[in-house]
Amino acid sequence: MYGWIWRHLPGNAWVKALLSLVLAVAVVYVLFQYVFPWAEPLLPFNDVTVDNQ
Amino acid sequence: MAATTDTQHEEQSGTDGPAAPAARRRGRAGRIVARTVSVFGELLITAGLVLGLFVVYSLWWTNVVADRAAGEQADKVRDNWARDRVGSDGPGALDTKAGIGFLHVPAMGDGDILVEKGTSMEVLNDGVAGYYTDPVESALPTSGKEGNFSLAAHRDGHGAKFHNIDKIEEGDPIVFETKDTWYVYKTYAVLPETSKYNVRVLDPVPKESGKKKAGHYITLTTCTPVYTSRYRYVVWGELVRTEKVDGERTPPKELR
Repeated sequence: MYGWIWRHLPGNAWVKALLSLVLAVAVVYVLFQYVFPWAEPLLPFNDVTVDNQ
Repeated sequence: MAATTDTQHEEQSGTDGPAAPAARRRGRAGRIVARTVSVFGELLITAGLVLGLFVVYSLWWTNVVADRAAGEQADKVRDNWARDRVGSDGPGALDTKAGIGFLHVPAMGDGDILVEKGTSMEVLNDGVAGYYTDPVESALPTSGKEGNFSLAAHRDGHGAKFHNIDKIEEGDPIVFETKDTWYVYKTYAVLPETSKYNVRVLDPVPKESGKKKAGHYITLTTCTPVYTSRYRYVVWGELVRTEKVDGERTPPKELR
C-alpha cells in the first residue's frame, strides 16, 4: 500500500519524500477537522451530565 | 518499507525465474501471500496510528480549540459588562445567550470558567461550564430564589474545565461571579462516584448531600474516573454570602 504510493509519486527521492509529507499532513488535517469530530460523540468518553437516557 | 520488501521479492523471483515450473508457481503464490500479508500489516499500522492520533485529538487538540472559543466568549461577556457599566448604572437585562457569569474554584486552580446555558455537547465543547435546563432545570443564583444551581463541564478534553474536581474538599469555596454580584458558596458534600442516571443530585434540595430544607445550593457534575464516562462525580456547595461587585471588580477574600 505505502510502497505502491511511493512508487507512483513523481520525481526523485527528495520530491517523493516531500510529497509524502504533504500527503501525511493532509490526512491528519482531514482526520482532526472532519473525522474525529464526527466520531467523538459516538464514543463513550465524554458524557459529563447526568440524565435519564 | 513496503517498497524495499517488494523489490526484494522481485529480485528473488528474478533469480528464481529459470527454476522448475512448480517452484515458480509456488513463488507466485508466495508472492501473493506476501503482498496480502504486507498490505494487511500496513492497514494495522495505519489503524494504530489513527487511534494514536485520536488520543492526541481528544486530550490535546480539543483543549486548544475549546480554550480559544471559551476565551473569545469570555472576552465578549466581560466587554458587555464593562460597556453596561459605563453606559447605565441600572441593572441591564440578563443576556442568557452569552455566558451568564464566571465560576471560580481556587481548589481546581486559577482561572475562571465561563458559565453558559445548557449542557449539550455544543455548549460544553466550547470549554465552558453549562447550567442544566434538562432533566432538572437549574435555579439561577441571579434570580435570588431558593434552588439548586447545577452545572456540568468536561473532565478531559474540550477545555477540561472540571479536570481537577477531585481536588475540591469540604469547606472549599466556590465563587460565582456575575456582572454585579459575587456569590460565595462553600462546599459541604462530595459524591465521588454515582450512576450517570442519578438525576436526583440535581434536585432543588439534593437529599443525597444530606440537606432537607430548601436553600441556595450549587452542584457541579462531571464524569469520573478520568478519561472515561462510566460514573459521575458530584460536588455540592451552599451559598454563604453575596458581595456587591465594586468598581475595580475586587474579588472576595476567598479568591485572594
